[in-house]
Amino acid sequence: MARLNTPAARILLGLIVPVLVLFWWQAQSAQGGARALAFVPLQEVGATLAAQLASGFLLNDAIATLSRAVTGLLLGGLAGTALGVAMAMSRPLDRVVGPLYHAVRQVPLLGWLPLIGLWVGNGDEAKLLIVSLAAFYPTVLNSYEGVRTVERRYVEVADLFGFSATQRFAHVLLPAALPLVLTGVTQALAFAWIATIGTEILFGANAGLGATMGVAQAQQRMDIILVAILAAALLGFTLNHLFARLRRHLLRWQPVIH
Amino acid sequence: MTLHTRIEPPPAAAEAPATGALTISGLSKDFRIDGAALSVLDRIDLDIRAGEFVSIVGASGCGKSTLLRLIAGLDTDYAGEIRLDGKRIAGTSLDRGLIFQDHRLFPWLTLEENVGLALLNTDIPKAQRARIVAEHIALVNLSGFEKAYPHQLSGGMAQRAAIARALVTEPKLLLLDEPLGALDALTRVHVQHELQRIWRTHRSTMIMVTHDVEEAVFLGDRVVVMDARPGRIRRIVDIDLPHPRERSSPVLHRLRDEILAELTGPPPENLVHLPVREVRA
Repeated sequence: MARLNTPAARILLGLIVPVLVLFWWQAQSAQGGARALAFVPLQEVGATLAAQLASGFLLNDAIATLSRAVTGLLLGGLAGTALGVAMAMSRPLDRVVGPLYHAVRQVPLLGWLPLIGLWVGNGDEAKLLIVSLAAFYPTVLNSYEGVRTVERRYVEVADLFGFSATQRFAHVLLPAALPLVLTGVTQALAFAWIATIGTEILFGANAGLGATMGVAQAQQRMDIILVAILAAALLGFTLNHLFARLRRHLLRWQPVIH
Repeated sequence: MTLHTRIEPPPAAAEAPATGALTISGLSKDFRIDGAALSVLDRIDLDIRAGEFVSIVGASGCGKSTLLRLIAGLDTDYAGEIRLDGKRIAGTSLDRGLIFQDHRLFPWLTLEENVGLALLNTDIPKAQRARIVAEHIALVNLSGFEKAYPHQLSGGMAQRAAIARALVTEPKLLLLDEPLGALDALTRVHVQHELQRIWRTHRSTMIMVTHDVEEAVFLGDRVVVMDARPGRIRRIVDIDLPHPRERSSPVLHRLRDEILAELTGPPPENLVHLPVREVRA
């Protein structure tokens, strides 16, 4: 089975199902009538893709969505990690903020949308707030667990070598918690990406893949929606892949489990 | 090798180490379990000379690991006195090193980073640290593995790395809590010889807790035999043999058998005497 593990083989294997779906899709659209509207012929989607690329619309949308997602991920992820670590290290803070956090995170982000719309409007600030929240929840949870579960035996070593509180934090607690912190960020990345496109669809925007989907839906332009979906899937996949590589590099000290 | 010019003290100093004498008097330690006090150590008195190697043996639950943790300063809640060179122990200090049964290297750091991090709060100038770290890695024969992460090392190598990390701060007193307990028999013998070599060149005081009586007599100037529940010193055996020692020495074997007999018998009064036992006797 070793041959199936080469990069080329892995790409080919991953493409089997999508290619099958494309054939099935084309067969559906060939039936004409209502089906052709729901299943836009692939050549039409291709033409739209080429047009969107040429006009720069697609690039513009992609950049807008990407920067929203990354800004929200940074803001929410940093705040979430900071709060999670602080809660794990301070029992009073955990007692005061913990219950509120666990109650609030039970409410789906969609549930907050009407309130946020009312308070902050539906501009860029509202969208950024929602994306940040999407990144905030999982990072709090995982960084909290990460710091809480640091093994006492490592802390004892820090004590033996006379580490100050700051040294202990920087040299023991943080690196020991890093695997779970990064698990939180991985989840945050996925949630932030989804939340970005979702809020763009619901709130609209000058530019953005979700905004374009929303407009195209109103105009019944299936081809444009498909191009946007394709772009969202590919960009999200790439983001995830890049982060996974970064994560592997940061955790290169862990034994590789096959 | 340049390494030994620094690590090996001049012969005069090796014979009479000035510091590292430990005095334990009236040391008792209780643990509270469900509100009831459980005595772990009961009025321990022990004087250890500077530069001495003392082994401690005893059944599980005799409080020998607790004793080391108290001397290390990881636990400061005790009655009685523990003094290193006359100074009462009230917390951890770079004067005292502790090696655990599990190597406790930080998995996120390479071997040389692990050893180097121990120097964080020493006053050794930054410029010299890399050299000192390299010397101590060489001391435990791990040169070439500086960039390896702990999971890439074998059990014996990781434990030797932990020894290098504990020695790099040059503690006056090195405490070893069953440091070789998790190693296979062959590696164990090998690291025992390394420990002996290091002790002979460093001449810092060492106290080692072990389950292995043979190891205790092979390395120790004295062997402290402890009783369990509560932990008390039953007997102290002098091992009056010069170092380095021959593992096959008949004197060592006799002392080992004597201590083993001490640890396993005499049977308590209420023990039922089985026929088999009577026949053997």
